[in-house]
Amino acid sequence: MLVYVVAILSTGVWLFLLSQGLGSSGIMQTLTQIATLPKTKSLYNFIEVATPHLFAIGTLIFVVAHFMLFSTKISQKFSLRVSVLLFIVALLNILAYLLIIFGAVVSGWVKLLFLGLFVLLFLLLLGMVAFSL
Amino acid sequence: MKFLVTKDLAHSTLLINLMLGVSVALFFYLGLDVVLHAYVIGSDIESITNTLYGNVEEFIELILLDSLLLQVHIDLFMSLFSIMIIASIYIRLYSDKRTTKWLVHTLFILGLLAPLFLIVAYFTSIGFVYVWLVSFMLGHLLGMGLSLRIIKKLLFK
Repeated sequence: MLVYVVAILSTGVWLFLLSQGLGSSGIMQTLTQIATLPKTKSLYNFIEVATPHLFAIGTLIFVVAHFMLFSTKISQKFSLRVSVLLFIVALLNILAYLLIIFGAVVSGWVKLLFLGLFVLLFLLLLGMVAFSL
Repeated sequence: MKFLVTKDLAHSTLLINLMLGVSVALFFYLGLDVVLHAYVIGSDIESITNTLYGNVEEFIELILLDSLLLQVHIDLFMSLFSIMIIASIYIRLYSDKRTTKWLVHTLFILGLLAPLFLIVAYFTSIGFVYVWLVSFMLGHLLGMGLSLRIIKKLLFK
């Protein structure tokens, strides 16, 4: 299951970078482009992506995090903090593009920051589950 | 999924029916998923290679990487949940059998590798199309087989 989640995260990040022009330029160039001037998206495009992700990411975090209930190696308090933080960061990651669409921020650093935080936190949770097995 | 493992089955008709219902739904889901992939990717080697690599003679464009990656992304998510549900019920009902561990491990591995082989096939050669086809079909047939065994055990125990 942990490998599945890593594969889902990898393909998800790859898809996002492709939508930002990875196919025609390198990774660093794409990241710089997202940070300086991200691709414009309509509200329809945003909702089309956000709706399935709200369901899928919420369910995925729940399923992975619930294994920490059976962990005897890591405290429930720490697991709770990581899980809740992951839920919050996931929500902010999904909604980040909304700030760009409505012009609250011009650059795409917000999206990159929350995407990076989300992936790192999810990997931490997966590591915790793997350590507890 | 803990409730599927710990709750006593003999005293809960509701749980038996819930497990039966989800197994029937997943059996049909796996069957229709094969049909869906036949429509999206192709139903024979020629149509699959036309989709993945295009065909200059017949003016067929190859599938965009974005579209294929989206399909793989969705496949991985759906596989994870369908296999986890089938596996947790199967382990509960057949925990005393020696083959259970191997069947469940094989199902998880095939479910993970099939979408990844599709991406590999896109970037490499037709050889991996066969690998994808075999792993995809075996994974789905195994999932359907396990679902059928669950249904049989719940209905005729």
